[in-house]
Amino acid sequence: MSNPFAEAVSALKLNYRQAPNLGEFSVFSGVGDTVKDVQTLLKDIPCQAACPAKTNVPAYIEAIAQGDPDKAYRINQEDNVFPGALGRICTRPCETRCRHKWTNVQGPVHICHLKRSAADYKSKPPAPLPAWFEATGKRVAVIGGGPAGLTTARELRRYGHAVTVFEKEQYLGGMMMMGIPKFRLPREVVQAESAAIIASGVEVRYGQSVDAARMAALAAEFDAVVVAAGAVKPSDLKLPGMPEGAEVPGLEFMRRYNFGEVGEMHGQHVVIVGGGFTAVDCARACARAARRLVGAEGTVAIMYRRTEAQMSANLEELEAMREENIEVETLVSPVSATVEHGALKAIRFHRNMLGDAEHGHKPSITAIPDSEFERPCDLLIVAIGQVRTLDIMADGVRATDKHGTTHPKIFLAGDFHTGSLDVIHAVEDAKKAADRVDAFLMGAVRRKQHVAVEYLDTRGATGRVRDHDLQRPLPITVLPLAKRDGQAEVELGFDEKATGVNATRCYLCHYKFEIDQDKCIHCDWCIKVSPRNCIKRISRLFHDENGNVTGKVEATKAAEATFIWIDSDECIRCGKCLRICPTDAITMRKMSLQTTTIPAFDLQRKRNVVTRPA
Amino acid sequence: MQRLLTFKHRSEEEEVKDAGLVIDYDEIARKGTMSKEEVSISKWFGIYSSRHPGSHMARVVIPGGQITSSQARLLARAAEQFAQGKLCVTTRQAIQLHWLKTPSLADLLRMIEEEGMSTFHGCGDVTRNVTACPLAETCRYRRLNVRPHAKEIAEYLTSCRDLDNLPRKFKITLSGCGAGCAQPFINCVGIVGVQRAKAGGGEESGFKVIIGGGMGWKAFVGQELFSFVPPEKIKYVCRAVGLLFRDHGDRYDRSKSRLKFVVHRLGIPACREIVLAFLKQEGHGIDDLESAPIAESGVAFPERPLTEEDPVGTDGRVTVRAIIPKGELDHHAMRRLAQLSEIYGDKRIYTTNRQNIELHGVLPAHVADAKAEIRKLGFGTDGNFGIRDIVPCVGTTYCPLAVSRTRDMYDLLMDVVRQPKYDAIAKKVLINITGCPNSCSPFRIADIGLRGMRIREELGSAEGYEIRIGGTHDAFGRKVGEFKKEDCPAVITKVLDTFMAIRQGEETLAECVRRTGFGL
Repeated sequence: MSNPFAEAVSALKLNYRQAPNLGEFSVFSGVGDTVKDVQTLLKDIPCQAACPAKTNVPAYIEAIAQGDPDKAYRINQEDNVFPGALGRICTRPCETRCRHKWTNVQGPVHICHLKRSAADYKSKPPAPLPAWFEATGKRVAVIGGGPAGLTTARELRRYGHAVTVFEKEQYLGGMMMMGIPKFRLPREVVQAESAAIIASGVEVRYGQSVDAARMAALAAEFDAVVVAAGAVKPSDLKLPGMPEGAEVPGLEFMRRYNFGEVGEMHGQHVVIVGGGFTAVDCARACARAARRLVGAEGTVAIMYRRTEAQMSANLEELEAMREENIEVETLVSPVSATVEHGALKAIRFHRNMLGDAEHGHKPSITAIPDSEFERPCDLLIVAIGQVRTLDIMADGVRATDKHGTTHPKIFLAGDFHTGSLDVIHAVEDAKKAADRVDAFLMGAVRRKQHVAVEYLDTRGATGRVRDHDLQRPLPITVLPLAKRDGQAEVELGFDEKATGVNATRCYLCHYKFEIDQDKCIHCDWCIKVSPRNCIKRISRLFHDENGNVTGKVEATKAAEATFIWIDSDECIRCGKCLRICPTDAITMRKMSLQTTTIPAFDLQRKRNVVTRPA
Repeated sequence: MQRLLTFKHRSEEEEVKDAGLVIDYDEIARKGTMSKEEVSISKWFGIYSSRHPGSHMARVVIPGGQITSSQARLLARAAEQFAQGKLCVTTRQAIQLHWLKTPSLADLLRMIEEEGMSTFHGCGDVTRNVTACPLAETCRYRRLNVRPHAKEIAEYLTSCRDLDNLPRKFKITLSGCGAGCAQPFINCVGIVGVQRAKAGGGEESGFKVIIGGGMGWKAFVGQELFSFVPPEKIKYVCRAVGLLFRDHGDRYDRSKSRLKFVVHRLGIPACREIVLAFLKQEGHGIDDLESAPIAESGVAFPERPLTEEDPVGTDGRVTVRAIIPKGELDHHAMRRLAQLSEIYGDKRIYTTNRQNIELHGVLPAHVADAKAEIRKLGFGTDGNFGIRDIVPCVGTTYCPLAVSRTRDMYDLLMDVVRQPKYDAIAKKVLINITGCPNSCSPFRIADIGLRGMRIREELGSAEGYEIRIGGTHDAFGRKVGEFKKEDCPAVITKVLDTFMAIRQGEETLAECVRRTGFGL
């Protein structure tokens, strides 16, 4: 610039050294495909990070809050395949990580039940999702029509392959149909969501038991075989003296219950051994059906060898069980059966002591000497887990790593791959298995995951204010105790008001407010309007090798402040800071984890905006 | 009880305003504190919170920038009693009292009312103080005397209860001619006197109306709404523009609420239609409002009329100025100025947007005496609107929003501009210093403008300024750069020296900057 004023001033050579202006994404908007982007997303959206299926939780809750349950359902369907079912029975790893847990006293957002609200209020039945690729001509056999099998089938179908599901029973849904009582998960919900998958063009063959020989034949006939047969073989107790038929595996009891095959149990004393979900479901089925099955004088008790803290059931469920007169006795292990006239009369237990927990494991238990006692028992339900029926595998085929086996065309998915887990983990595992199978069939990875960063020029208008955070969450409507007949669903879902309150509580963590340090003039106006201690004066930020913030030193005086910095862990996404900023230094961007086909990924990356346009 | 909340798009301030703009200062005096809502509503009554907890500022509204000497004495008394003896003249011709303690607000407000003054609508989302060019009555270049119109507009709009809850503040200024001494292009409504030949012979005066100007974080130059408005209609036009603002201003995003954003968003033709519709609706004829360019027939005016020393008015009387450093004076000085206006002037005190005070109506024979008396108070009397008439905002001294110590910068720069070598350009350069982007001292329209900021360092931050050069009353300066406080004097010196070296004829710094094409 050949201007005398500019030249005169630049002759002063006033160049200041400044701390680097590091953003939390690698791009301003577009495709973020570095480790830094992914880590930023996982740190900022703890619920999504915790979800095995990486469900875009804030996006669907926002859609609900904005009155669009159909959109919310679609987001869920894309990510976790069975929104209606999971909205009832998910194990909810997300809720324990919800930011409301550590920034409020009102507890986490009811993420799981909101998923159900989306399913309840959606305007049309679930529809098949569009395919990503043209038909490839490849054929895949999926063994098992449970959560994992159906998920694998859907994903492979979207990859463009022809899929045939081989189901042992006459219905689809697997564990969701037989392992979970229908008063927790109505059959119709599972049927509708399975139907949407089948409608995308998946062939199903019912009543097909697959053994080792059949599997070898399938492997020869199809281009690939995915075994998603679940873990259905019950572990048994082998109690000394137990008469034939007096011990029922938990899962088998659940199946009989769901299909109305449980006989007369009036006045019986039922003992359930185990502390998992099946144990709880069995107990509730007996009691709920309650008094119909065991009668007023009958008893139902869960006997668990560790404490309530180690049970899969959460506090809420334990509370509900007590309400239904189910005894929960902990720190007890069965020793032997007492038989009179060939019939089971009682079970002897001894009491346990809790030992130390090794890292990552449940605490050990030791028997307390001479602590044995007897508990009357007419029916023993053993719900101590299931194992895989590995004998259906073709001869000599063993699992290797990452869903693969020693047979190149046979792959594993779901419980059959991971051991007995829950539905959401089965979905996660099945999606990964489908990716692996597609890469095997096509010889290349065809889809890629990235963090989509989207700049929103909406002046931070999320619609949120601090009041939204402090609402007391409204509980889900439940059926009165007297009306719980063991058939009708107990949890009735959120009514519209509760849906609104619970959805607007969500912090919408997928929005990222960030200060461009080169534009910031430290006027602190954002700090002045901040609803809480979410914007901080920082003298030092520490980063890991990927560029993610790992630590900070807060400043106490303006002169010590190198940065004015928005702490995303405290941010409530109200946008007040953005609106007050006099230098337009604050931007709002939306981040989401997306998987796209590689051509689309490359195209989007070409359009990346690296720094903010002036 | 918990309200049912939905995602809403309305600012929290709007909720407070809806709750009612009433406040009980005696109760506040008794309890000694103000709630968040009371602090917010207090603005309507001219009370702002200060940077110091428990301290407040009261802004006394002075429509047209003219008060009587007895009102000036009263303000001096109020300052002595409640405000540590200090008074501040603002760039919008009001007078502020700082250091007020919460319990004394009620007594102060009562006292101010004694002489018919008020702080009502001093701040808040309402029509603010209506300003006018300081020489209104007697200026040789005036098309008409704007002061009575300023007072009339102020009185009329302040009495309109339906203009109490605007989306944000609403600023009106009146200039007697196109020289823009009252800064019509950076106010929400800038009213400029015009004169033209009448169809049937003779001359007629009226107003040109400019709307949508403003400084702040995003600055806009105002645009012409009407080219000619008869003087008797101007207050109705102001009200109609106020109604346009009331109904179309953003009530969610306060930083985008001002009329300038409405004008920017809707465009002038749409705004004109809305304003005309309001005028019609309220029963005012709109046929004599013109928007086509008119041929001005008034006398030619100089570029900067206010640089003239001791200007002689059309009545043969002289205006004598007191250049108030940093706009702050104590109660003794205020009393003495009131007295001087009684001895030499027209018994009025005039405030200017350069934060100075003027005495009008001084007989030419008394000018020397009057100036000598003013100098005895420690105020300069010459160099108004010149290089040594630097205007800083109050900065971090009082203002909770300020980033930098503008008054320290004033001292630093005074050392630079006082050097005799700059005498030659003393009337050609104007310097404004503002402590934050709100631009209370409008830095964009000065030849040299400084805006406070902090500059990030490797560790910590340092006070600094964004420096712009080349602004005039109707065009904004261009950015030179961002400099640390201690480097600013060197940068300003470089700019002034460059100007000294390359200036041509009688051009101002702004003209020189424009000629050399800086920043274009």
